Amino acid sequence: MKFLCVPCDSPMKLQTMAPPEGGSLSVVYSCPECGYEMAMLTNPFETQLVQSLGVRIGPDASSTEGTSAAGTSCPFAAMMPAVEGAPPDQDGEPIPVRWTSGAEARLANIPAFVRPMARTGIERFARERGSLEVDEKTLDAARDFFGM
Amino acid sequence: MKRYHDIVGDGGSGVLEQVAEQRTRITDGLAGVRHLVAVGSGKGGVGKSTLTLHLAGALRARGLRIAILDADFNGPSQARMAGVQGALFVPGSHKVALPRTRNGIGVFSMGSLIPESEALEFESVAHGESHTWRATREFSLLGEILGAFEWGALDLLMFDLPPGAERTVQYADFLGPRTSFLLVTIPSEVARAVVARSVAALSKGPNRLLGYVENMSGYYCRDCNAIKPLFVSPEPSGLEIPCLGTVPFDPELARLCDTGIPLAELPDTPVGRALEHVAQQLLDVLESTTEPPR
Repeated sequence: MKFLCVPCDSPMKLQTMAPPEGGSLSVVYSCPECGYEMAMLTNPFETQLVQSLGVRIGPDASSTEGTSAAGTSCPFAAMMPAVEGAPPDQDGEPIPVRWTSGAEARLANIPAFVRPMARTGIERFARERGSLEVDEKTLDAARDFFGM
Repeated sequence: MKRYHDIVGDGGSGVLEQVAEQRTRITDGLAGVRHLVAVGSGKGGVGKSTLTLHLAGALRARGLRIAILDADFNGPSQARMAGVQGALFVPGSHKVALPRTRNGIGVFSMGSLIPESEALEFESVAHGESHTWRATREFSLLGEILGAFEWGALDLLMFDLPPGAERTVQYADFLGPRTSFLLVTIPSEVARAVVARSVAALSKGPNRLLGYVENMSGYYCRDCNAIKPLFVSPEPSGLEIPCLGTVPFDPELARLCDTGIPLAELPDTPVGRALEHVAQQLLDVLESTTEPPR
């Protein structure tokens, strides 16, 4: 979608975008020639259609974490409690497994919809080997163990 | 006044560029795959998933490097049948390693991520209007999967498609002309008519139609050790594409599928031999018509 300032016959530029609210995006465009501003307010169907394409809406697609329209969140986050969580210890408290920064970085590289399952499975793999830490060696060991 | 195509870019978000980047990630991710084969039908319940898995098993037993992408996100069955329901997803340096079956077939199935008691749901801000966006979201998810997993160097990547003649064509559009199609039918006029619609629709596009397999072509009676008719009046199919073989129904095969046991452990039976024959036919037609590996 493109916006044109009719008096100037000039393409308008995206200026700001507010976080989604009630399924609506508020995106402000301005004309670089005359400075006239206008806002595009999407309805939930339009917002959802954009989200369904897996793309971001915003002035800089590489730096809009948290304000983007789409594309980064887990598509079925509502179902994730069924696959997340650590097993309890004898007192019923979850046993935390520490992830090193290198292992976290590798986890962050994979799609959001796989991340919870990956985290849970790797932590289980580590615990079964008597470790409460996941580092890159743990990840490589898991790959080798499962013949990946 | 300027028109749409007079203006470069889209004002800031680069939506088209982002979509193009997604396509590039997919193309790059599949660069090492020699053959892309979508197993479809149009009709549901004809055994697409079963044939996909066991043809993959037969080809794997010949030493080929095989992976399956279960593209039926709403009714995934490969996870159970391939024995990867509890698969571990391990992050690599940039992508996710593909879970593997005991016989070394890489399998992605939504059934490895979502319990069978749960339906696939997407977060949405347009509640109650999923008919307007859901198919788009599912194809976007397919793109994420193709771009995010380590497909590596494969001889064959098989897509196990969902039912629906129109969906089959949508997958052809999405996967592009590199993907060939293998269709599955059963000896019922109703099923054949639906498959004929898929053939007609796919024939209008650039994708290669490798042929069809007639599944449930009789059933194997273990008591009689004979193939008996399952459908009345098995006339010739009338489908205008090559038949790569017929496969009888065998309750033992269904049991193996339920328990995730691969074909290699199926005793030497008519269904096993039929699947071996279809696998060889598939290999022959792929090798005879394919372009050089990219």
